[in-house]
Amino acid sequence: MDSWLKCYILKSIKMKKHMYKNIKVFFATLLLIVAIPSCTNLDEKIYSDLSGDNFYKNKVEILQGALRPFTHMQAWMAPTGQNGYYYHAELSADQLAWPQKGKHGYDGGDHFRQHYHTWTSDEGRMRDAWSLIWTGVGYINAAIADMEKVDYKEFMTEEEMTAIISELYVLRAFHYMKIMELWGNTPIVTEVGEGPNPPTRPKKDLFEFAKTELETHVPKLLPYSKELVGRVSQTAGYAMLAELYLNAEYFVGVPMWDECIKACDKIMSGEAGGLGAGNKPELADNLSDSFSNTNQSAKESLFQFAFSKKGGFTFGWDGFFCGYSNTSEIHNVDYSGWNAFVVIPTAFDNYPDNDLRKKEWFMFGPQYKYGTDEPILGTEEYNGKPLEYVNYIRRESERKSPDEVLRSTMADGEENSGARFDKYKSGPLTDDNYRENHYLLYRLTEIYYNKAEALMRKNGGKATQEAVDLINICRQRAFSDEDWEEAKYTTETLTMDELLNERGREFIFEGKRRTDLIRFGKFTTASWWDHEPSNDPNREIYPIPHTQIGANPNLKQNPGY
Amino acid sequence: MKKNTMKKRLRDSYKKNNRKIVLLLSLCFLFQFSFASTSSSINITENDEVTQDAFTVKGVVKDNKGEALPGVSIIIKGTTTGTITGIDGDYTLNVPNKNSTLVFSYMGFQTQEVPVNGQTSININLTEDIRVFDELVVVGYGTMKKREVTSSVETITSKDFKEGGSRNPLDLIQGKVAGLNMTRTQGSNPNAGVDIQLRGVSSLTGNRSPLIVIDGVPGGSLDLLQQDDVESISVLKDGSAAAIYGTRANAGVILITTKKGKSGKAEFNYSSYLRHEVVNDRPDIMSASDYRKLIAEGVINKDQDFGANTDLFNELLNKGNLSHYHNFSMTGGTEATTYRASLFYSDLKGVVKQNGREQYGGRVHIQQKGLDDHLTMSVNLSTNFNKANMLGGSTGDFSQAIQRNPTAPLKNEDGTFFETHAFDNYNPMSRLANRISKRDQQTTLGDLRADLKIIDGLSLSAIAAFQRDTYNDRYFRSINDWDQRPGSQYQGMAYASKNNYLKKDKSFEATANYRKMFAEEHVITALLGYSYQYQTREEFSVNNNGFTTDGFLDWNLGAGSAIQNDKLPRPGMGSNKWESTLVGFFGRINYSFADRYFLQFILRREGSSKFGKNHKWGNFPAASAGWTISEERFMQNVDFVKDLKLRVGYGVTGNEGISPYQSMHTLSTGGVYPQDGVYYQTYGASRNANPDLKWEQKREFNAGLDFSILNHRITGSFDFFVRNTKDLLYEYNAQQPSYIHSRIWANVGTLRSTGFEFQLSGVAIEKENFKWTIDLVGSTLNNKLTKLSSDLFKSNWLSFYGLPSPGNLGDAIRLEEGGKIGNFYGKRFAGFTDDGEWLFYKKDGSKVRAGETSEEDLAVIGNGVPKFQGSINQRFEYKGFDLSLMFRTKLGFDILNLKDLYYANKKWLPNNMLKQAVKKYNHINDDPQYSDYYIEKGNFIKLDNMTLGYTFDFDIPMISHLRLYATVSNLFTISSYSGKNPEVQDTGFEAGIDKRDYYPGTTSWTVGLNVTF
Repeated sequence: MDSWLKCYILKSIKMKKHMYKNIKVFFATLLLIVAIPSCTNLDEKIYSDLSGDNFYKNKVEILQGALRPFTHMQAWMAPTGQNGYYYHAELSADQLAWPQKGKHGYDGGDHFRQHYHTWTSDEGRMRDAWSLIWTGVGYINAAIADMEKVDYKEFMTEEEMTAIISELYVLRAFHYMKIMELWGNTPIVTEVGEGPNPPTRPKKDLFEFAKTELETHVPKLLPYSKELVGRVSQTAGYAMLAELYLNAEYFVGVPMWDECIKACDKIMSGEAGGLGAGNKPELADNLSDSFSNTNQSAKESLFQFAFSKKGGFTFGWDGFFCGYSNTSEIHNVDYSGWNAFVVIPTAFDNYPDNDLRKKEWFMFGPQYKYGTDEPILGTEEYNGKPLEYVNYIRRESERKSPDEVLRSTMADGEENSGARFDKYKSGPLTDDNYRENHYLLYRLTEIYYNKAEALMRKNGGKATQEAVDLINICRQRAFSDEDWEEAKYTTETLTMDELLNERGREFIFEGKRRTDLIRFGKFTTASWWDHEPSNDPNREIYPIPHTQIGANPNLKQNPGY
Repeated sequence: MKKNTMKKRLRDSYKKNNRKIVLLLSLCFLFQFSFASTSSSINITENDEVTQDAFTVKGVVKDNKGEALPGVSIIIKGTTTGTITGIDGDYTLNVPNKNSTLVFSYMGFQTQEVPVNGQTSININLTEDIRVFDELVVVGYGTMKKREVTSSVETITSKDFKEGGSRNPLDLIQGKVAGLNMTRTQGSNPNAGVDIQLRGVSSLTGNRSPLIVIDGVPGGSLDLLQQDDVESISVLKDGSAAAIYGTRANAGVILITTKKGKSGKAEFNYSSYLRHEVVNDRPDIMSASDYRKLIAEGVINKDQDFGANTDLFNELLNKGNLSHYHNFSMTGGTEATTYRASLFYSDLKGVVKQNGREQYGGRVHIQQKGLDDHLTMSVNLSTNFNKANMLGGSTGDFSQAIQRNPTAPLKNEDGTFFETHAFDNYNPMSRLANRISKRDQQTTLGDLRADLKIIDGLSLSAIAAFQRDTYNDRYFRSINDWDQRPGSQYQGMAYASKNNYLKKDKSFEATANYRKMFAEEHVITALLGYSYQYQTREEFSVNNNGFTTDGFLDWNLGAGSAIQNDKLPRPGMGSNKWESTLVGFFGRINYSFADRYFLQFILRREGSSKFGKNHKWGNFPAASAGWTISEERFMQNVDFVKDLKLRVGYGVTGNEGISPYQSMHTLSTGGVYPQDGVYYQTYGASRNANPDLKWEQKREFNAGLDFSILNHRITGSFDFFVRNTKDLLYEYNAQQPSYIHSRIWANVGTLRSTGFEFQLSGVAIEKENFKWTIDLVGSTLNNKLTKLSSDLFKSNWLSFYGLPSPGNLGDAIRLEEGGKIGNFYGKRFAGFTDDGEWLFYKKDGSKVRAGETSEEDLAVIGNGVPKFQGSINQRFEYKGFDLSLMFRTKLGFDILNLKDLYYANKKWLPNNMLKQAVKKYNHINDDPQYSDYYIEKGNFIKLDNMTLGYTFDFDIPMISHLRLYATVSNLFTISSYSGKNPEVQDTGFEAGIDKRDYYPGTTSWTVGLNVTF
């Protein structure tokens, strides 16, 4: 019976009994009623959430708890429209920009400041990125703490549990790598709520933490296989290590080329498993397989985010990369976006015309409805007129005379400015695997590039034949047989600058450009399109969001902010 | 001295008979607010002379309802000779001569002098004369005479309600209570609520609307009240008044008393109104010909002329709208049993197509006395069934009405709808034709109440109540809807959804009352109580798509092929449930001495399930005092002051208005991820649990003065308050690391508001057939955020109202520590370049283009919260006619004109624009930017309500009362604001924004009828 009713009935009984008795008796009764605990019970019953007590009862539930950080990571790491790692890694670099397009896209000047490197500690999107990534760390810390309490022996072996916990440790180290890249000096926290005001640690502590955790736990991971698609396996772990070692010179001033090469070899040798033949990773045969809607089993994949429209969660790159709804007919798809990211003209010009990647990975020129020659029409500056993506960013629609010189800045975009993203392809609505695409964080090509770069740097910045071979075997996919002879590198032509350019061409849209520019010393010193160099090395790391500085007195702002 | 003796004698006389008190009290309920036009002082001189002209006068004294009045004192003027009427109001008196004058006096009635003029039979009817201080005021858990009230309480009875057909019972008191602010951001939309705020913003995230208590049941739904069922509305404004409701009283408490049955003759009442709404704030949108003129001038491309002349704004309106309301009630009873029952029906139409609300329901109250009148039990049942059509009146439709190309037809030649493809465009007429959005709601409240007199002075009351609020929403988009078209994700098939909601409130409240008078002049009243409230809420929703036919609408959800076809958006479903419990113990002691000095103490101790383990309970004390200065000896000779009372109070109240479970660690869903290729749900920490979460507390000081001067011709009150709400509940920025999520519910920060309120009523003219009364109500407000940090959680400012796309120009409003509520925060306009591009001031005073400004250049550029609000209500009565005029004003605030910012800018082309784009704003040749350029003064005064009524005066036995009236509301507004409607939302934190999306404002015309037989 409901406790309120109980109270009421009790009270009524007492009332009758004592109706004409004296006041003292009445008050005593009232006090008695009041003292009945059910009348003062304030416990909360939970209906629509789980609590630690009724969960983690079998292996599926253990994994459901362990995989929460993965779905969260999809938000901050993949280009899914969030203000996370990807947004900052690309818009501060020389390939992608989000210019204002007429009345659209000014967005409080956020994207301007990324492009011009004039951000402050008060950027809303930076607060979001900080918060998203640290929430990831929090989920992992909470999951590790929960797992360590679970009595799993009845339904899992110790090896299975160790692999799962190692996976969480490695994933956390990856979070710290990315935190170190963006903010340099931050706290290191391995338990929820410890502190709660943890102090700032210098960048080298973060580096050491990530390195030690990876070196300790990567060998305990399982080799990559079809069963583990989407998870952190040895290929993922060694790819992380390869990246960490490659950037060690920049991060802590200690070159680790040999360690990098060794990590690359672990992957290339197939020791760490893989999705290709014989459980080894293999380079993709062409430019499209790794990004297609059947790339779940892409043979060069080392670490990928599993997305599936059928499974219930789609890889949505539409917000950043797609135009308004008028453009969804280009690919006959049901999604559209914010007409946001465009390719910076200088980056597009970086591809020679015979580079097949220039066709395969971009939308450029006049656009037609899928499978027809019926033009797509614009809705803004080119309202009602055929939409044609152009390799410049200026107010061409306002041109008054043919010889007028038009300004080309972040403020001067139009709806058709710049070439557009077409690297990942969802397929048309009619395709059986429509939008089943996974997002690849590491693919074997990058390991080839990393090893080549380590070899070259070890060699005083000069290409070795081994390095040239590693790059050429990847690059060959981008050229026709006729063009290849002329396109392939030699130890003479593969300079460090050329390597950076080629990295850009190969990994465009893959969220790696900021890190590459920094490692090559170009981030604060080079100019591109509307960007002038700041020549301020402090800009290589972002400021700690001022709200966090305000919230935690033990945080120290980065120099220069 | 003599006056006091007289009073004492009268008091003794009516003390003799309990029934008389009951009668008097019930009369008090029905009092009429009129002031004596003649003095009623009695001069008694020693003159016992009896002459031979003496003869006997007989008669009966009744009240003006025709009921006999026993105990009326009758004195021969100029003598001490007199008598008192008997049980049937009869009297016999020897008068000295035929020129004598009889003085009839009776407590609570106007004293009346009647010259004998030789008559031997004088029957008279006395008129009630309730002195201001004897009015009954409804307070928490009881009533008090105004004289005894020591805190800030305002009671408005049905006599003084605003006329003209209310949409919401609180409309009845709009403009009548100083400090109570009500805004309707959605004009006459019958499905939109009203924003209610008392004395400014009192909480960041908790409840900011007053607690509604209906007949003693806290948390009652306003849907259950129809205007003709409401007897009185009492507003507990300050902390010392509201503390008895402790926990949910931070924003004030509104006590609503419904009409009850009366013993005696059965009475039937019917009231009704008809209302028609006319839009009064149509924006100056370019017509098709204005638009074509711009095409001819080359401003707009030729290909933008689609050949039609469309006035979409006009198309959206339901010009023939007519709302009607009917309420029928019957009441009656015997000494022991009384009842009142009413039934109502209303069909309210918005000014917009597909926007209406049909309601019916009723209310029954039965009261039975028993056990020698020791026990009174009553049952109250009320219910409201309503069907709402929510499809029309979407605020986005009216921004389409502005921005859609006026040369574009609404339909193609084949009858399908024509869609324009500019930014953010849709055809609202297509939506109105191809969608369904309806709500079917039922709200029921039942309560059982028992009052038991134990011994003289001690009584017990208990009330158990159950309120059930449930609705079922249906939503459907046809295969012909643009969003469902082939090529959309729905691939040409229809979509349908249903959503169920069920809220159950159970409450039990028990009180013991004790009253004791000792040594003649000391009175103590004590109240002790227990309160239990348990609430659950359940929701269930489901949607499906892939319907190849419109044949089912939403009545066969399983037929949608999205269940099998995984290329369609997945069907969705969801359900959730939560509960919360409040337990309170409370007590109140009132002490009065010599009817002049009053003290009141309140303590409520309350526990809420929502808070952390160690902080579930909170204490809410209050103390207040009153001093009736006019009763003091030194005031006896101050003739022009009739009543004067000083009140001072301090009270603590609380707020627990956050979602449950915030102090607990739980796991919730987090998206799907594969385990060996199978996608399973994942689970992670739901929140940063804060086990220290506790009550928000408001501490309020209030000082007030009540007065009545010039023979009660002018009455009124002044109040001054200071309120500080501390331990504000807010989802603060958590330290990340080490917390998991970016936000944590915590108690940090203080809000402060101060204000001055006045309420004045006066009789300007009173003649035999003509009366002119004036009521003035006004309040000032200064509302600040004084603190936003604690040792553990820090925050500098909060921001509100993100300006919409395109441009996403940032948050318009910033609430800074130490700053006022409602501050606009943005760029400072510095002029234009020669090319018409914006220039703004940098912090250092230099002028730059928008792209070169940064966060540090922003400043406070205005404030959207009115500093002063007031109203003047005038009422003229001439014979049966009455005319009332209510003007309302809000002064000292700014409005951000978003309609101009976005729509009066040529960059909005090829969308349609406001005419001002090529006039006032023609020089702008740049994309929209947010700055003080668009901030204007919002001062306004409007004729809020004008009612002309006629009450028939005839002697038809069947009909005892018949009144007809006509009302016009919102007839005109005088304002300094250049936009169309300066009455924008000014409650909460998003004050003073004239939004892009809106529901049109209206002038409404109403005729009504009220008949009693």
